Amino acid sequence: MTDAPPPASAAAAARAEGATKIYGSGDTEVRALDGVDVSFNLGEFTAIMGPSGSGKSTLMHCMAGLDTLTSGEVYIGATPLSVQSEKDLTLLRRDNVGFVFQAFNLIPTLTAMENITLPADLAGRPADAEWVDKVISTVGLTNRITHRPNELSGGQQQRVAVSRALASQPEIIFADEPTGNLDSTTGGEILAFMRSAVDEYGQTIAMVTHDPTAASYADRVIFLVDGKIVDELSDPTPDTVLDMMKSLGD
Amino acid sequence: MLRLTIKNLLDKKIRFALTTLAVIVSVASVVGVFVLTDSLRASFSGLAGDIAGGSDLTVRVAQDLGQEFDRPPFDEAFADGIDVVDGVDDVIPGVFSFNDTVIIDDDGEAIRPQGPPTLGFSWDPTTFFIAAGDAPDALGEFATDVSTAADNGLIIGQTYAIDGPTRQEDFRLVGTFRFGSPDEHTSLGQTMAAFELEQAQDFLNRPGQYDAIAVVVEQGEDVATVQAAIQAAVGQELEVVTSEVIEDENAEGFDEFISIFNNILLAFAFIIVFVSTFIINNTFQIVVSQRIRELGLLRAIGATGNQVARSVYFEALLVGLFSTVVGILFGLLLGQGLRGALNSLGFSLPAGPIELQTRTIVWAAAIGVGVTMLSAIVPARRSRTISPIAAIQNDQRLAGASLTRRLWVGGVMTLIGGALLVVGLFVASTTTNVLTNVAIGAVLIFIGVNTLSPSFARPVATALGAPIARLFGTTGEIARGNAARSPRRTASTAGALMIGLALVGMAGVVGSSLTKTFLNTLDNAVEADYFVQSSSGGFDPSVTFAEEIATEIDSLPEFDSVVRYRFAQSSMRIGGVDKDVFAADFDLVERHLDADIITGGLTDADPRGSIALHQDPAEDLGVGVGDTLTATFPDGETDELTVVAVFTDSSIFGNWLVDNDVWEAHFVRTGLAFASATVTGFSDDLPQAEQDALLEQAAAAIAPVAEQFPTIVAESRVEFRQSQQDQLNSFLAVIFVLLALSLVIALIGIANTLALSVFERTREIGLLRAVGMTRRQLRRAIRWEAVIIAVFGAILGLILGVIFGVAAVIAIPDTFISIVSVPYGQLVVYVLIAAIAGILAAILPARRAARLNVLDAISHE
Repeated sequence: MTDAPPPASAAAAARAEGATKIYGSGDTEVRALDGVDVSFNLGEFTAIMGPSGSGKSTLMHCMAGLDTLTSGEVYIGATPLSVQSEKDLTLLRRDNVGFVFQAFNLIPTLTAMENITLPADLAGRPADAEWVDKVISTVGLTNRITHRPNELSGGQQQRVAVSRALASQPEIIFADEPTGNLDSTTGGEILAFMRSAVDEYGQTIAMVTHDPTAASYADRVIFLVDGKIVDELSDPTPDTVLDMMKSLGD
Repeated sequence: MLRLTIKNLLDKKIRFALTTLAVIVSVASVVGVFVLTDSLRASFSGLAGDIAGGSDLTVRVAQDLGQEFDRPPFDEAFADGIDVVDGVDDVIPGVFSFNDTVIIDDDGEAIRPQGPPTLGFSWDPTTFFIAAGDAPDALGEFATDVSTAADNGLIIGQTYAIDGPTRQEDFRLVGTFRFGSPDEHTSLGQTMAAFELEQAQDFLNRPGQYDAIAVVVEQGEDVATVQAAIQAAVGQELEVVTSEVIEDENAEGFDEFISIFNNILLAFAFIIVFVSTFIINNTFQIVVSQRIRELGLLRAIGATGNQVARSVYFEALLVGLFSTVVGILFGLLLGQGLRGALNSLGFSLPAGPIELQTRTIVWAAAIGVGVTMLSAIVPARRSRTISPIAAIQNDQRLAGASLTRRLWVGGVMTLIGGALLVVGLFVASTTTNVLTNVAIGAVLIFIGVNTLSPSFARPVATALGAPIARLFGTTGEIARGNAARSPRRTASTAGALMIGLALVGMAGVVGSSLTKTFLNTLDNAVEADYFVQSSSGGFDPSVTFAEEIATEIDSLPEFDSVVRYRFAQSSMRIGGVDKDVFAADFDLVERHLDADIITGGLTDADPRGSIALHQDPAEDLGVGVGDTLTATFPDGETDELTVVAVFTDSSIFGNWLVDNDVWEAHFVRTGLAFASATVTGFSDDLPQAEQDALLEQAAAAIAPVAEQFPTIVAESRVEFRQSQQDQLNSFLAVIFVLLALSLVIALIGIANTLALSVFERTREIGLLRAVGMTRRQLRRAIRWEAVIIAVFGAILGLILGVIFGVAAVIAIPDTFISIVSVPYGQLVVYVLIAAIAGILAAILPARRAARLNVLDAISHE
């Protein structure tokens, strides 16, 4: 991506060093993140798990440049986020980061196609039509592409959202509970699609989830408790993830 | 991004409609005023040419003082000199009278329209064109214009009574004519009576005199040469002007009339624009806060803050452009409607083509787009700061200015506004300065108070809601909570109503003070028992009635004295300044009216050489009783007048009073503006029964006079007091109606905000319904919320209005208003009206909220 990436981050699409996020102060102080060091490698599908309040969503927001750290540093590719201006952060998000949220992913007044090309439109450049067509046919949206979000099922809406994230071929896609609102079959389709995006196109994805099945689609699962990474698991299956969760729960 | 904005607008049709409504109303009101006055101007300028007639030159007395109808006539012998000048083809001498020649119809009613003049003429074949019958060519004959004849059912061959400047006489109608052109009658609603020249000289009181001589120049002759030759023939006493000059003068006169009209209407239109700006701003604020998640999502996927802000501006631009186009269309309709409305209020405005000038379109666009863009500035700036997190998290709020900053900004603006107001009212000297200072001051105060008001909206709304909460339990409590929970929105929604009610409140205070002052003057200063005034009423001092009527009343034994009053504006020059002048009968007037004379007296003064004046000009000029003043009159003559009295009440005669002898020496008009009479033997000390008996006799005696002369009304002191009060009230009513328009806008604003709030609270409403709130209760809650907001705005507005009103009353010269009166009863009524307006505004939003499907509402994003 960059001409001369520093060796430490050569394989990282995004990484955090000593990421700390503190809300409030004094008695009400909450350490949502407490010195997290993590790296999301290129072409890797990482799941972030942890109980409610463990800081997984905060970690994702901070790494995506949506929120700022109290201390520590986050890099997207080789770019440190803390020194970026608001405008540069926005451009970085637009060009190098993709998002999939649990809900309210799409602009209701735009068609599916318009939603997918929205980041390119915002950047004022044409979307890569060939690539977009490929993505759309992969997710099986070709027939629904002129429909508006309210004419699509929840699963279809989420597929549009994933397509939008993929359309700009970002360095990394952050997904926040992407299957949280979907039934297990539909959710499985979305996850399989994300998996194939990693396998076929080398897309980097980081996903927050609390569903062991969802996490099993990832290459690696990291576990967060009280703002700290407590463990991680490679090549997870639903059972190994569940076991790990149980052991952490004890 | 632009596509997104457009799609958004098209998709949210209700929101779009609500946003555009206020802009459309603003644009339409300004366009309506321009269209009306431009159309009038077009009709009038055609008229100016028609009035100038078919002659080339006009000979008349030069005049540099007083009104056009005060131009003195000249001796008819001058015509002989003109006839023989080389190049003169035709000479048409003429006399005319303004507003004192009135035809009386078959039913004994005076044909006298409100506003347009009644005119008497000698026949002029170059401007009058016979439509039916013949031109009047003998004594006892007259002709009238076709529309007067048609409108009043006048029939050729019948005899009608006509009230002239000095007396009433019967004339036979011999023909009807078109004015201005042979094919089409040019009318402003004026009533015209034309007579044969000698008859006109006699009846219009121009014995041996002409008002003007129209000259037709021979074909091929140079008009300027002939003009110079005539000027040489008539000498320096008269002037010779071309028809272009006459046309320009006429056009100028009309222009002045239209400009005043235009300015008054524009002032109201701009009040509407100003009020609308608050609503538009508020709407954008709400729209942006409703879209906060959507805008957050845009930010998350890469829209810059600028792009988001730009989309808000672009939305404003589209709303502005759309509203401008629609507003212009409505404005055209409104212009027509205004004409009709004003006509039904008693004006007679000419019909004519609709004029849509480029200037109007430019203004419409400037207001439509400008006001909308201006209103979008703050919401757009705030939208820039929306965080991308907003897309993920619920309950994101737009950052508003901090309370301290609000207090500072609002406080400083209010103070500067107040200072400007004080400067405008009490220091500034020229009218323009006064108006500029007062207008800018008031605008600053409005914005300032509106900026401040969120800081106290919560406690006030809570307090106002207390009785409602007590009365309606939970429903009332919810209404109160909703009104109080977003003080910024409550304050800005109430803002529009605040301005409307501040204006109404101010008009209320000024009107009430004016009425009080007037009645007080009547009660204290009036000694006479009977009053005679023109039956057309109104405030036009040029409308007069024949002197004969006063003489006739004087001859009745039931009345022992009659005083005649005349009035002219800017017609007496003293010390280089043109003064308004009043004339009365000095020997009697002190028994009729008491102007609080402090030194000297009128009764025994020499009527021909005396003047009385108010204390203020007396002090300014450093004169007192016994000193002399040099006064110049419209006839160009100068008199040395001795000051015989100084008075302190300027509400009766203004500042300057002369005797009728002085008037008759210098003014061509003989008609009376007013007359008062005392009843023989009447005294306030008599027992009530005797007073009543005397007044009854007087009424019986004067009734035949009033019947013979329908141009007047004769009223006893009690009737006069009532009719004056009625007249004042109907005048004030017109102002209230115009101001009430701003209330309608405010109503739209409240409805708008409520509709958007309901939409915003869909989920919450669903929850309330789910846990058992009935539709009826829900509607009630929304209705009461509206009432609290409306009453909040009303009270704030009325407080400002009373302050403005009292300041205005203090600033207005004592001649007009000397008593400060706050109409508390009226103010309470206004608050009630505002509350009702709130209920009306809530109808649609409440219905919409009640219809929501509970399940859909709960799952609403």
